[in-house]
Amino acid sequence: MTRIAPLPPVIAGLLFFLLSLSVNAGTLTEVRVVSEAQKYRTIQIEVSVTDARDVDRYEVWFSEQPFRTLTDALLHSQVQVADTSRLERVPEGAAYEDCWEDGLPTHRDPFGSPVISPAAKRWSCQLTGLIPNTDYWIAVVAVDYSGQLLSGQDSLSPIKTRTDIPDQLPAPPDTRPVLSILTSIVICLLALFIYLRRQDMRSGKASANVAHAYVAPALIALAVLSFYPIVYGIWLSFTDAHQSRLGQESFIGLTNFVEVFTSPGFGRVTLFTIIWSVANVTAHVGFGLMLALVLTKAHLKGKLFYRTILLMPWAIPAYISILAWKGILQTDGLFNNILGTEIELLSQVTSAQVLVILVNIWLGIPFMMMSLSGALMAIPGDMYEAADLDGVSKWDQFIHLTLPNLKSTITPLSLLGFIWSFNMFTVIYLITRGNPSVDFGQPGATDILITYVYDVAFDYGRYGVAAAWSVIIFLMLVAFSWVYVKKTKATEAVA
Amino acid sequence: MIKWHIPLLVACLFVFGGNAFADKTPVEVWYTYIADSEEEQLFFRAIEAFEQNNQDIDVNPVRVPYLQMLQQFITASQGGEAPDLVRLNSRDLGKIGQVRVNGAPLLEDLRPHLTPMERSRIDVRAMNAMRYNHALYSLPVSQASLSLIYNKDIFDAHGLPYPQDDWSIDDMLKVAQLLTKGEVRGLAVPIRVYYWWIAFQTGFGGWLFDGDGNPTLNSVGSAEALQWVLDLELKHGVVAPGTGFDVEAVKTQFQQGKAAMTIDGPWNWKSYTDAGLNLGQALLPTVPQSGKRMSPLLAYIGWSISKQSPNKVATARLAKWLASDTVQRTFALQTYTPPTSVSLKDDPAITGDLNLSGFIRQTEVATPAPTTQAMSLAYEPLNTAIELVYTGKMNPAAALSAANDNLASNLER
Repeated sequence: MTRIAPLPPVIAGLLFFLLSLSVNAGTLTEVRVVSEAQKYRTIQIEVSVTDARDVDRYEVWFSEQPFRTLTDALLHSQVQVADTSRLERVPEGAAYEDCWEDGLPTHRDPFGSPVISPAAKRWSCQLTGLIPNTDYWIAVVAVDYSGQLLSGQDSLSPIKTRTDIPDQLPAPPDTRPVLSILTSIVICLLALFIYLRRQDMRSGKASANVAHAYVAPALIALAVLSFYPIVYGIWLSFTDAHQSRLGQESFIGLTNFVEVFTSPGFGRVTLFTIIWSVANVTAHVGFGLMLALVLTKAHLKGKLFYRTILLMPWAIPAYISILAWKGILQTDGLFNNILGTEIELLSQVTSAQVLVILVNIWLGIPFMMMSLSGALMAIPGDMYEAADLDGVSKWDQFIHLTLPNLKSTITPLSLLGFIWSFNMFTVIYLITRGNPSVDFGQPGATDILITYVYDVAFDYGRYGVAAAWSVIIFLMLVAFSWVYVKKTKATEAVA
Repeated sequence: MIKWHIPLLVACLFVFGGNAFADKTPVEVWYTYIADSEEEQLFFRAIEAFEQNNQDIDVNPVRVPYLQMLQQFITASQGGEAPDLVRLNSRDLGKIGQVRVNGAPLLEDLRPHLTPMERSRIDVRAMNAMRYNHALYSLPVSQASLSLIYNKDIFDAHGLPYPQDDWSIDDMLKVAQLLTKGEVRGLAVPIRVYYWWIAFQTGFGGWLFDGDGNPTLNSVGSAEALQWVLDLELKHGVVAPGTGFDVEAVKTQFQQGKAAMTIDGPWNWKSYTDAGLNLGQALLPTVPQSGKRMSPLLAYIGWSISKQSPNKVATARLAKWLASDTVQRTFALQTYTPPTSVSLKDDPAITGDLNLSGFIRQTEVATPAPTTQAMSLAYEPLNTAIELVYTGKMNPAAALSAANDNLASNLER
């Protein structure tokens, strides 16, 4: 057995150095990894060329295992060698991967592949698609016009390399402001509790402590689920929040409110919202009361049947009812089929507005009917008997007995109905989506404030402006409720 | 004694069972195939095959309605709850591309995830259509555009020859007039929806934007196209009144055999054949006024990786599998989805299918939807303009000019 004498350290070191440079005979003198240019899933190599004659292209081959022949590796990419006078250089960052020749971005063919000039002395390319923290062996070979490897490259010495650059995940949403606001709200509530408790103690209402304890969980839940979104919405309305810079918004004062009040469709959409709400509440209470009166008649037969039928719109999920109405009202729907017409009910401004109001009236009557039925049954029957004995007409009984007794129910119900109608999103969104269009950049003919806010927020991504619209809606409802309660003395009636 | 065994067993299952799953990399995928559809079944089979070959990855597919996908993904990303992989349309990239959360985009730039060789397996036009600015935001797996689809039985009943690829719009109109009788209309086209109008607009020599991306909705060709397309209903009566804004109504009309021709995409082909229709397909016609062929918007469907995904390597592996020749071929042959794979262009099974190859030919003359913010903002003013012209409140030139101004001012905001 022949023993091979160990190489002198200097020669061994030299050989190792040469191997690490992946020296290939022929046109390549050096292939090196540009360590400082590593990126996530990307390694950059640089190739020095001494003689590019007869070279059609350079091919980069790679494998996760050492390899000596190309059959054991995969083709990664190609760099064409050709006349570049008619090609454009593509700036850094614009192509799928960056390549340079003699320090300048390479030219690209019509497919975006890099092309270098035969005179280029040095080229470099980013090798993408590599898995981080994985060893790779990479070899660059020169190929001639016939597709053959140029001489001396049959036995390869690929260089070993890897990229350890990790993925840069975006920063998680900053929850500190949310937590601090929530904490502030909870602290304020606790302070309120303590204050009220002391007041109760002073006035000798010791048992009220228990009441506070019962109310506390609900209030805290409200603080988290309602108060915070309101506070956040108000804050957003004073910022330039937009979907293209969420989390980086800045305070802009009243600009959004000015935009809302001066927007061309503001007056129109507000007017239609008021018409929509008043029409709905009036019809809900009117028809609801009428049906409740009929259904509480003692001699009426089949009350249960009628009640069940009349409750149907309320019992069926609203979106199903609404979509069913849409199916009936559209041009090829049931309505036109029955009449044999092709009337575009939902495309004309007036008919579309009337129809969405009618559908919402239809949806809201059962709730009013049920609520008022309960209130009607609570009115003592002997009052009516006494009125009958006194010869009071039915109409006068209704005006002077029924209505005053229903006031404590009708007033909060109509207030609630107004707020619900004002913020009723589903009917309009599902039937017309605010259409038909009236003018450019304006709310549609059937848009109410709440449906238009949705468009501003989600179609245009203008969160700050949408928040300003929402704050205005909120203020309108607060103002209406305050005036309504004052005028009708609703709370007194309830108390 | 027995009482102690049960909680112990449950605890063991929880601890060891949990560990067994913990070794796998979870990948949540949001897809938009219709429930129980053939597409969904094929998708599930593709996922199953992937998991078998990648035992270290656990895929969790979640169905999201197609029309809600964009907004749901944006909202989830804003809350830091985005899925790893999501199925998106190239038309959505213009909107999603501009969204930022704390300065970061919502989608991962896929350029570092693909080798040039992997990239070259996909049609270069499809890849370019998935770029927003320079980033590659989606790996395209299918493409589709509008095409002319006709009911052979209605043509046969009238003894008329089927539509041909060399048809002009005048030929189409003439035949549509001949076939409009009683309940049956010659054409079923949502003429008041911008997406359909754009196909005519390109035929008349118009386009949405100039080379610098500025809106050009107000060109002469655009106005001519708008008048021509609305006249299909208003003047010629070959399109049923009132159906022009309702895509579903148009689909139902054709499905019920109440229209001889429709302009629709391959995505509805199966629902038509399932309804028992004997169908044919032809290229959208040419426009004699300009000498150009109608070129509908070409939309690509692709798989995008969320920027927030902590498992991008595994997710990219899944995306590449879903874009592979194997999966694309299966989808193409079974669901008439034109593929984006370069090698499948010459696949005999695909080229041998007359209708599928017809849809592929149509995509070749279609125009990729620009992935710009301007494109995402163009829909609203376009629909308003069409509506105002349809209702007679404005003429096409004035309406499109106003739409152009509105789009330009929206872009400045």
